[in-house]
Amino acid sequence: MATLEHPANLNAFQQFRQACALLRETSRATLPAWYQEALELDYQLHIRSDGTTVHTFFHHRSKNEWSAGPPLTEAAMTDPGQIDAYASQIIENVRALKGDSLGVILHIADEFATAELKPELNNPAALPDLRDTSVQRPGEILDDSSVPQDQASWRVIPYPAEGSEVIATTATVSRRMAGFLQAMRSVGDRQDFPVITHALAAPLVVIMGLPAAIKPTEGKPFVTILQYPWFTTMAFFNHHSDIRLLRTLHHRGLRRPPNFRQALATTNASLEFVDPDLFVLPLGGDVDTQVADDLRKSFPESRVETVSFPTVANVPAWIPELALSIEEIPENRIHPSQTFGSMRTEKWFVQDFLPADKEAIEMYPNRNEMRLLSALRLARLGVAALAVIGIAWLAFGVFSVVRQREWAFNEGESKAVKQRLVNLTQEQQRFEHWNNLLEDRSKAWVAMELLPRLFPVDSGMLVLTFNHNARPDTAPGQARVGFTKEWVITGLVRDEALSYLNTLNTREGISARFSEIAKATGNTAFDPTPNTRTIVPNVKTLENGKFKPMPIEEIIDSDEATYPYTFTLIITQRFESADSLAISAAKAP
Amino acid sequence: MYKQSIIIFGIVIPLLIAAVVIGVCAYTRGKITSSFENKVLFYSGYEKSRMASLAIEAKLTRQRADFERWNKLTKQETFSLVTTNLRAIGETLPAKEFQQTGFERLPQSGGFGSVSAQKSAGLKFNFRGTYRAVQKAFLELETRMPNLQLQDLKIDPNMTPESPLLNFEVTYTAWEN
Repeated sequence: MATLEHPANLNAFQQFRQACALLRETSRATLPAWYQEALELDYQLHIRSDGTTVHTFFHHRSKNEWSAGPPLTEAAMTDPGQIDAYASQIIENVRALKGDSLGVILHIADEFATAELKPELNNPAALPDLRDTSVQRPGEILDDSSVPQDQASWRVIPYPAEGSEVIATTATVSRRMAGFLQAMRSVGDRQDFPVITHALAAPLVVIMGLPAAIKPTEGKPFVTILQYPWFTTMAFFNHHSDIRLLRTLHHRGLRRPPNFRQALATTNASLEFVDPDLFVLPLGGDVDTQVADDLRKSFPESRVETVSFPTVANVPAWIPELALSIEEIPENRIHPSQTFGSMRTEKWFVQDFLPADKEAIEMYPNRNEMRLLSALRLARLGVAALAVIGIAWLAFGVFSVVRQREWAFNEGESKAVKQRLVNLTQEQQRFEHWNNLLEDRSKAWVAMELLPRLFPVDSGMLVLTFNHNARPDTAPGQARVGFTKEWVITGLVRDEALSYLNTLNTREGISARFSEIAKATGNTAFDPTPNTRTIVPNVKTLENGKFKPMPIEEIIDSDEATYPYTFTLIITQRFESADSLAISAAKAP
Repeated sequence: MYKQSIIIFGIVIPLLIAAVVIGVCAYTRGKITSSFENKVLFYSGYEKSRMASLAIEAKLTRQRADFERWNKLTKQETFSLVTTNLRAIGETLPAKEFQQTGFERLPQSGGFGSVSAQKSAGLKFNFRGTYRAVQKAFLELETRMPNLQLQDLKIDPNMTPESPLLNFEVTYTAWEN
């Protein structure tokens, strides 16, 4: 993986690319151990340095097993080459055990000191803020501003006891081992294997675990004396088992602090402790074992006990910090107090004195950012799928459309066909126009055919005149114009033909004759059936003034005097404008 | 420190890009669909026009010969054409049974011609002849010249006693082009 840059030095897109690279190329998104505490991990390496020796122990948390760890010296802890090799070996061991992470817990037992807070910060409600400030900007809360802040690390330790003059003190250790822990973490980063570190102040862990080792006299204050090879820490508790004061005395090359008895006595006096119980805890392989006896002589009224913690397999009894740091809540043999109650649960005693630099932590996305990145990767897949569906939808739409014949259709063809249709329609209209004008609506030869059909030879009738005309209706503005045809026939008739003439004088009679003519000639103008046509006959008969009765054998058909009656037959045939033979009024298109 | 960039580049910009892609797809598909609908309209119109053209063409194919004949007929000078046709018809009939006694070109078209914007001419003839001969002549003339529409027909007996011939007066409207 490429070298990481601090995100503050990158623009937003570079930050995102770096985060994606970390997501893609590291196990930070998949292994929760990267964001857990070292003391929560299943495989732990506990390192305890008391100034004389360095002890290492390997702990399998889920199996609650302890075993000796790979040996380590103080010199190796300051040599980067040896640290890399050491860390690689440990990681390899853990991997061999199917472990996916390692917690490295450094118990600092070779130094411990306290420093007072500024008096103006004496506000119990401000303790959470003071705790954060002691990590980020310790100079703001320390009474002694001359202490170099890049060489030591401070953590606030509250004094919850009622009547305390100060609300808290600070415990401090040097940053001497910060490089070692940083190197261990770096090896883990390079190998993409979570190596989480935690530096504990050994005396604080022991104080946290006191309920497992001591049982103070009811109603009396007590003092615990923590004997380390290079220093002795005294913790003063009131009769409610709440811590009043932490005091560290350095041995300065001796086996016990100089003026130890006087310091204990004066502190008891200043805290107004009367004959407190004194518990001596030897926390080194070669500490002074005469201290308890001497204290019994110096403080005859006090109960003086040398106490030890329950041992665990493979770990010396004078190294109780290892088990204490990982135990949940030991059996509480002490009166319930804030010190062993809320201070334990709030982890005041197991604060990390040498955490990773803020900048080193910020180099990587935090757990929430990793989760967000991981979740958004899925969301992006969904979004990409949506986009692909959109493109597929478009492609399907395009494909289904371009397959149609209509898609390849050239609009020019449509224009050409339409123009052709217009031309053909015009030609058709011209044809229909002329077809209409040239219809057999009024023909002389058919009109003449009417006469012999109405008046056959020897029918008893003699036709004298025949007049026929056809005239259009007066209908300005109409597209088609109806017309009327009229026949006026005059003649003579005998008695026996009158009934026939009367038959012609009916619409049925005359229509029958017209139908006959239409059928015989094929001329549709004589067809009386369309309802757009009407035929009206009108016959008038009068006595013939020239009539001379004579014997029948003398009668000649052409002799007008032999006919007793004259007649006038008027036939009017009307064609409405809706009739198929109506005349088109327009000019040829 | 990564949160803002993760949100911006992890989801906001991909969402915007996806929205743009989907928007472009929707717009493009809409345009294509709209274009296709237009093409369908054109095509449908084309098909209708084509089918209608084919139908008209089929009809006209049958009618075109008649139409050409009518066109030729109506474009000729009516008076001389009628004269020519009557002479030809008269030659096929017995001279005693069909005689043309008069022929007049009317100054303006009456009858059917008066109500149509189409050009027409008025013609008036007088004949003497037998009923059947004259009817045959009319039949022949009107067959040769279907543009003639009968306007008036009068038939009177001859004044000469015992003559079988009749007097015919006929007026035609002749459509012209």
